[in-house]
Amino acid sequence: MSPVWTLLLIAVPLIGALMVAFGTEDRAYGSSLRTMLVTLIPGAMMLWQFDFSMGAVHQGAASVNWIPDLGIKLSIGTDAISLLLIILTVLLGPIVIAASKTAIKDDRRKYYAWLLILQAAMVGVFAARDLMLFYICFEFTLLPMFILIRCYGSTNRVAASTKFFLYTFTGSMMTLAGLIYVVYFVAQQTGTWTLDIATLTAIAPRMPIEHQAWVLLAMLAGFAVKVPLFPFHTWLPLAHTEAPTAGSVILAGVLLKLGTYGILRFAIPITPAAFMEYAPVLGVLSVIGIIYAGLICWVQDDIKKLVAYSSVSHLGFCVLGLAALNVSGLSGSVLYMLSHGLSTGGLFLMIGFMYERYHTRDMRQIGGLASKMPVWTFFMVFFTMASVGLPGLNGFPSEVLCLIASFQSDAAWTAAGEPGAWGTTLGPWFGVFAGTGMVIAAMYLLIMVGKICFGPLREPKDHHAHEELPTDLSRREIWTLIPLAVACLVFGLKPVYLLDAISDPINQIVSTATAHSVQPLPENHETHTMMDMIQTQIQTQTEATP
Amino acid sequence: MEITLAQMAFPEALPAITMAHYLFVSAAMFVMGLIGFLTRKNMIVMFLCTELMFQGAGLALIAFGRHHLAADGQTFVIFVLCVAAAEAAMALALVVLLFRHKETLSAQAWKELHG
Amino acid sequence: MINTTLLTNQISTILAMAPDTTASVLSQTPTEIGTGPKWILLIIGLPMLTSLLCGLYAIIGNKTKLPAWTTVAGAGIAFLATVAMYLSFDGTPYTVHAFDWIQVYFGDKAMIANFSFYIDTLTIYWMLFVTGLATLIALYASEYMSHDVGTSYCRFFGAFGLFVFSMACLVMGDNLLMLYLGWEGVGLCSYLLIGYFYKKPEAVAAAKKAFIVNRIGDLGLALGIYLTFVHFGTLEYAVLFNDPTLLGYIEAAKTGNFEAIPAIAQWIPILFMIGAFGKSAQFPLYVWLPDAMEGPTPVSALIHAATMVTAGVYLIARTYPLFLTSEFALPIVAWVGTITALLAATIAMAQFDIKRIMAYSTVSQLGYMFAGLGVLTPTGGVYHVLTHAFFKALLFLCCGAVMHGFAGQLDLRKLSGLKNVKGWGIVTIGMLIGCINLAGVPFTAGYFSKDTIIAEAFVTPGTSMIGWILLFTAGLTAYYTFRVFFRVFMGPVEYHPGDEHHDDDGHDDGHDGGGVGGFHPHAPGWAVNSVLITLSVLSIAASGLYFVGGNKEAHTKHYAQTMVMSSTASYDSPYSKHAIHAAQESNDPNAGVGPRGTIDKALEVPIIGGDPHKMMYYISAVVGIVGIALAWFLHLFGRTNAAECKMDPIAKRFGPIPKMAENKWYVDEFYAMIFVTPLRIISHIFHWIDKLLVDGIVNLFGYLPRIFAWIIRPSQSGILQGYAVSMAGGLTILLLVVFVIVMQGGVS
Repeated sequence: MSPVWTLLLIAVPLIGALMVAFGTEDRAYGSSLRTMLVTLIPGAMMLWQFDFSMGAVHQGAASVNWIPDLGIKLSIGTDAISLLLIILTVLLGPIVIAASKTAIKDDRRKYYAWLLILQAAMVGVFAARDLMLFYICFEFTLLPMFILIRCYGSTNRVAASTKFFLYTFTGSMMTLAGLIYVVYFVAQQTGTWTLDIATLTAIAPRMPIEHQAWVLLAMLAGFAVKVPLFPFHTWLPLAHTEAPTAGSVILAGVLLKLGTYGILRFAIPITPAAFMEYAPVLGVLSVIGIIYAGLICWVQDDIKKLVAYSSVSHLGFCVLGLAALNVSGLSGSVLYMLSHGLSTGGLFLMIGFMYERYHTRDMRQIGGLASKMPVWTFFMVFFTMASVGLPGLNGFPSEVLCLIASFQSDAAWTAAGEPGAWGTTLGPWFGVFAGTGMVIAAMYLLIMVGKICFGPLREPKDHHAHEELPTDLSRREIWTLIPLAVACLVFGLKPVYLLDAISDPINQIVSTATAHSVQPLPENHETHTMMDMIQTQIQTQTEATP
Repeated sequence: MEITLAQMAFPEALPAITMAHYLFVSAAMFVMGLIGFLTRKNMIVMFLCTELMFQGAGLALIAFGRHHLAADGQTFVIFVLCVAAAEAAMALALVVLLFRHKETLSAQAWKELHG
Repeated sequence: MINTTLLTNQISTILAMAPDTTASVLSQTPTEIGTGPKWILLIIGLPMLTSLLCGLYAIIGNKTKLPAWTTVAGAGIAFLATVAMYLSFDGTPYTVHAFDWIQVYFGDKAMIANFSFYIDTLTIYWMLFVTGLATLIALYASEYMSHDVGTSYCRFFGAFGLFVFSMACLVMGDNLLMLYLGWEGVGLCSYLLIGYFYKKPEAVAAAKKAFIVNRIGDLGLALGIYLTFVHFGTLEYAVLFNDPTLLGYIEAAKTGNFEAIPAIAQWIPILFMIGAFGKSAQFPLYVWLPDAMEGPTPVSALIHAATMVTAGVYLIARTYPLFLTSEFALPIVAWVGTITALLAATIAMAQFDIKRIMAYSTVSQLGYMFAGLGVLTPTGGVYHVLTHAFFKALLFLCCGAVMHGFAGQLDLRKLSGLKNVKGWGIVTIGMLIGCINLAGVPFTAGYFSKDTIIAEAFVTPGTSMIGWILLFTAGLTAYYTFRVFFRVFMGPVEYHPGDEHHDDDGHDDGHDGGGVGGFHPHAPGWAVNSVLITLSVLSIAASGLYFVGGNKEAHTKHYAQTMVMSSTASYDSPYSKHAIHAAQESNDPNAGVGPRGTIDKALEVPIIGGDPHKMMYYISAVVGIVGIALAWFLHLFGRTNAAECKMDPIAKRFGPIPKMAENKWYVDEFYAMIFVTPLRIISHIFHWIDKLLVDGIVNLFGYLPRIFAWIIRPSQSGILQGYAVSMAGGLTILLLVVFVIVMQGGVS
């Protein structure tokens, strides 16, 4: 696979953002939509050229020295996991633009330009093979999102955007501290500075377990807030409720996945022993999150808040799969990252379309829309069912795998040599309690659908028809939903494609993590001091330059 | 004991002025300036006091520079003088502006920045 | 007595087998089982295709009955394909692979659940009546739903097709996840179809209730599936039921030696059972089914009487080997089924809505099936499924015809003597045939299948109490069934139209002539009548199945038994006469020993001095006839109008009991009080905790800098000299520190 496509995926939206920013207000929508559609081409080319048989190798790798004294490079490359997440991002791009056409009326240039920049940053996170590049992109996603919420959100947007920014930013500062320690440790071990993720993950597990625990804590401070894991979730309902539709879709679809992606890519490989030791804590938190957020959903009147809390509940499954630390769990978790983006993204789009017409999200004011908006209702029920985890749709395989994983990863069964048990972290009780989340999800989502779609028609008193939009969904709106719906179906019926694709990277992550966490860490004989390293670095630099 | 410049020119006429003398004068200037700055309310007087502190510090610099036979001290003082001149121009202009606002030169009249 | 030496030997063999079984299980590949012809996929694919076509019709705005004909054709061809599959079946199970679904490989192990189908006699047995009834009921619905022609019509048949597809996946899937897919799929279709009249709040609430209550059961099923995979390492029937570990467990269970079976394995069927209770509306999860009658009647007939609700029975029959390995699962199934049968029958006796009576009778009859499975006669349970499917579908369709004709009237106090109304002859005959089957009148299909279950309850040790309760319930069943028949179809002619609440656009045009109160009932048309005739014939013919299809070699007496005994549900009760004789002849010391203990040969004949299987013919016939006679006396004899009968004064004597039965023993209210309300309160508490505590802590961290600033803020006086003083003071302190350090000899 050529790295050009990945670079194009980052470059094209940035160029598009410039064009939008310096273009006219009226053309902002058109040119940003065209840009996003153009990015589909490199996205498709990546998928086309990607060789899934190559296992866990990162393909399309390219690297340029950036700050050589510290070993910082601009290096990119994708394996199957990041490829799929990139494809998800690229797929959501045009959809969110098209969904904003009538919703955003003022200051369009800024809006679309920031959306495009956000797109580039998200691709950058998934494609980065260098810690610094990863971290910069990871942090940089905050800014566009902050602006989207702050400038285009609804009534309580200032508080929401501030909390979103400060909360996640504080968390990721701690992550940075942890990662810097990892870099320092690896530099001590190898004698050279490097921020190459592969090198870091290969050497960092040599850390003594107490250090690992601190590093894990620091990393989780950022990633758990991003996921968000109970009890660090309170920014999410607020941000989702206030964000414009596109913001909510991107937030649910991709940004939350940065947290779980971070755990998968960094927390597990860098601190496997500590992760295994503290996985039950993660497991308990995610199970609490599943039940707790699910029950909160039940008593929400604000439909968008309901879906936001349902995200908290659903991502609990995702973290549970990670905490199980076995192949089925990690596969399920990656699948969950993809499928949650589709179904919850779809739900946010549906709510956005309704909100444009009724200007309310209060389920007490609105109901029985099926008689007025049958097409909307069809998609609403469809995405709800996808979210409930109906077999045949996307939510099911991932949920099953996450739950099976938590059953499997029990120390007692591992000892008995039962099939499939690799990890030793969780036990059947995690699965049982998390499983109640299935029932709770059905409860609140069906109650939501029952209230707003079915029953006698209820509309806000001052409701009048939208000037530009038809009563039911317009053609443009339907076309934004169809790709998501098709993807939901394909994921649900052929998850085996995805599972095959991610099988090798997942197996590699699990086997290295398990190997590291089981074997006692080798006490390193030779460590280098800070000054040594700087001197050797300078020496090599001077030797290199004539 | 080192022979100073003055001793070279007028070996008998004057008693030896040592480093300590210069430093004493410089410290006296600085402390006078400081006390003046802390006790007076008139902004112009306060400004003059800061000038006095500057010059006290400058004298110490020159004395040390001479003492070590290095030009750095003097050079630095030239800079300080330049800055002080520029500062005087700015500061006096500001004082005039402030006076126009409140019709008083008291520094206590300006305390909007309290916490 | 149990031979202890043999037992210990068995335990040790099992224990020795356990550790290294996993390897051999995994080396077994599902390809060991043969693959079938691909045209069998038609059975799955056609209903899905018709569903998609109905969606297409909705999009292009079709305003004809095309969706109905498409569905009838699709289901009909699927039925023919099922028949072809049956005829071409040579006795060995096989699989048909459609496509790969979920596959996860870890190391040398794998979790595989493909979109594949497993065909054995149980599958064929079930699919025959599923597709057959689906065809008939689609035909019926083409007329029944005709006043909704348009988008709603397409929606109805779209969901109908999807239902048949899901049911086919449930029954035919070759692994537990496929079963789960169908299981949830039928749940979805049930949700969509109960909520068909989506403007009615009761329909929406009933749909929601059905889905959520089912989900509680589904949780059990899902957890059971996960445990199965974790314990046996496979989800595919072909591998699972040949798993040496499982076979070892069954061997142990056969002599009641449950200590040799790990607790995990014993939990699996208990979890499955919860799923079955949800889907098949057993106590305590039965509350959704009566409410589900808010859906259109064809839906009630197909989904909530004949097919979907039997999925629980199918699940237990399919995984019967797993159930055998559990000490408690089957007894619980038996008792829950019995309690449900009795409870639902008592409620049915006090209801006035005929469709609800039928709903409770469905719950009650499902209880019989579960009791049958529980008392070690999967044959009885599965046989009753088939007979019940025919006569209950027939009964529902007759009720539907009444409801349709009398503008939604279902109250048996407002309908009387329909026998003598013109155009209602076929409905009356159909109803009568359904009623005699349900009441267990001798020589009907219902009579034979019910007897099999009750008799077996007397044979199996420790369950004779179940037998007595079921026998008593049979009497109640006969009573409430004929209560409906005698009140609605017999007696003086009198009818009051309903308020047409099930029809949105109404069809009161043309109803202006004659009848009571100016109302003219609208007699069923050819489609409804022909379906009723077909089902009546089938209901009668089903009794013939008791006499044909036996297989001497396999010791099976009739068709259903033959079909069951050659499938995974095969289980020959060790307490049956021929089993004991066979064991005695081969000098097996374990004669009369089984999972439920040992039968004393002297007590082989526990009731009234005869073989229970023979005696039951007479006893249950008497019970049924007594019930009918009571119904005749209390509800027909001397009745002069629709509303009043001899029962009314008697009911008053019972005090509050009939009222409580009419209100379903307040189970719904009980659940609301015990589960829903507390859970809702907890949710509200969580909501406030989230707002105040969890978010409060976050906000507190946000406020911390502010609080700190508030503390040190007074130091900023704003006075210039103040700052200067602190600067000078700071400098002084700094100088002092330096001075002290220098005086003490400087920094080392």
